[in-house]
Amino acid sequence: MENTRQSRAARDFIRVWTVIVLIFIYLPVICDALSSLSKSRYFSFPIKRWSMDWWVKTFNSMEIGELVRNSLVIAFAVTIISTVIAFCGALAFARYDWKGKKFFQKAILLPIFFPQPVLGLALLLWFNSIGVPLSWKTAAFAHLVWITPIVTLVIAIAVYGFDPALEDAARDLGASRFQIFRMVTLPVLWPGVWSGMLFAFLLSWGNFPLSLYTTGIDNTVPKWLYSKMVAGYSPMVPTLGTMSTLAAAVVMIAGGAAVYFIRKARSRNS
Amino acid sequence: MTDKKTQEDQVPEIKAGATLLDLVHVCRSFDGVPVIKDVNLQIRKNEFFTLVGPSGSGKTTILKMLAGMDQPTTGDIVLGGKSISALPPDKRPTCMVFQFLALFPHMTVGQNIEFPMRIKGIPRDKRVYRAQELMDMVALPEKYYDKNVMKCSGGERQRVAIARAFAYDPEILLFDEPLSAIDAKLRKTLQRELKELHRKSGKTFIYITHSLEEAMFMSDRVGVLRSGVLEQVGTPEEIYRHPNSSFVASFIGDTNIFPVKARPQGGYESPDFPGMEIKIAPTPELLEGKLIVRPESLKVVKDPSEADNVIRCKLRDSFSLGSRSQYLLTSGKKEITLELPHGACGDGTSEVLLGWNAQDAIFVKE
Repeated sequence: MENTRQSRAARDFIRVWTVIVLIFIYLPVICDALSSLSKSRYFSFPIKRWSMDWWVKTFNSMEIGELVRNSLVIAFAVTIISTVIAFCGALAFARYDWKGKKFFQKAILLPIFFPQPVLGLALLLWFNSIGVPLSWKTAAFAHLVWITPIVTLVIAIAVYGFDPALEDAARDLGASRFQIFRMVTLPVLWPGVWSGMLFAFLLSWGNFPLSLYTTGIDNTVPKWLYSKMVAGYSPMVPTLGTMSTLAAAVVMIAGGAAVYFIRKARSRNS
Repeated sequence: MTDKKTQEDQVPEIKAGATLLDLVHVCRSFDGVPVIKDVNLQIRKNEFFTLVGPSGSGKTTILKMLAGMDQPTTGDIVLGGKSISALPPDKRPTCMVFQFLALFPHMTVGQNIEFPMRIKGIPRDKRVYRAQELMDMVALPEKYYDKNVMKCSGGERQRVAIARAFAYDPEILLFDEPLSAIDAKLRKTLQRELKELHRKSGKTFIYITHSLEEAMFMSDRVGVLRSGVLEQVGTPEEIYRHPNSSFVASFIGDTNIFPVKARPQGGYESPDFPGMEIKIAPTPELLEGKLIVRPESLKVVKDPSEADNVIRCKLRDSFSLGSRSQYLLTSGKKEITLELPHGACGDGTSEVLLGWNAQDAIFVKE
């Protein structure tokens, strides 16, 4: 009797706690969304007049279209390049034994702990001294420096759970190195690779401190948002913020759905 | 196509019972530490050969060298007259069933079994047909074809792994203790099935285990390995009846081992039984050695004249083995194990006379 009452209290506490946490996390996002739907230029609550004007303006703005394109191009480039490098890095990190592995495991962590604004500045100085003009490409490079190690760690977690005997077995059953990679190693590690790709995309899409120093004349979404908040605020800022959040949510949901359907199709076929 | 051709080249027709695989002075050391010490062994075509030894005896190393995952430091491995020491695993007509099976977790039962056939480029319909034949052979129900292999039970996974190895159509199947993680009851069933599969398939099986009991149960011949040295090779019967060392004898289970030494006045004596003459038949050539008396060779006697050697013991404990009973007795400080079909063995207070006949004991050098 005592026991059930206690566990019921615990359950109620967990419920209340969960709701509080959700409110703390989502209240700013909701405020942001609400302010984008207000007709007035400055946000006040309760909202007096609702309007989709700012959404239409943002959507039709050439400048913002350019920003979103830049951010997307950088994010896709970073996702592809970092995942390829990180996959190899993760195998070196967790799968194979080699001289210098311990050093590699520590060295790869350093860029993550390096404060991003300092890293961005350092890269800017470096680009200047070797004479590379700043553009979205230098920004993508800067993102890679910071994001690739993170993706490496994400994929390495999957590699740690990989049983090397699977590769031995495939080889023993006649498979060549490439066949082993294509038919065993990559498919088994795919969930880890997939989450690494999602990380890479979202971290690049939302990155401000590195883009601030390294984009040159090409602007990105986070950089524009910041500059508008410093000077020349308009409700297009929360509108673009909300759009960005929604887009990220769509990417996440689509990613999850893709994995779900691929699994389902795989278990149904053959 | 080229692979298939080289495989055919490697294995000329060999009659059942003739030497198929020949290990010639095989040595393997890791960083200068010898692990396999001059192993010479002939494995015959179509036999079920088991290498048995305690952990660290080098049995897995030998199996890896046979599979091609490791190479001998010196010596040679010859298959059907041709050296295969340098061939990689994917070019050898051997296939291994791994200790933890190494089934591909992202594939169904059917896809796992078809894997080696997909590599060989066998068309899909033939693959599916063969996979179902193999599933039937290892007693997996047909509906398991689409089952996620990770959702199969331990015994079912075992069967999938064996079917997958057969799908490679190897000359020799290697087994790396695949039954060690299976509970006792199922293990007996799988051992019986494996033996039957061996007989039906006509393939050569090389099995490794740390359990001599398992080895004796399934094998045509057994090789006992001790710290990298092949101590004895023979049929289970030979290993049991004529072990050539106390190590081999004790490996099979409980046994009684007494150090013995020739007496100046003739006959033998043992420090375990001071002042008593121990009769050994036939009389060994060596003056010193060990005497092995199996628990079932001992019998309870009423009078010392009933057996060649008789010792006085006290009963300490008794254990039921189901169909038989095992007793632990002591004679002086020496512990003695006795096995009887059934019935009591003294009451624990009075002395028991235990005897064995001279020809029932085995004399070994060490």
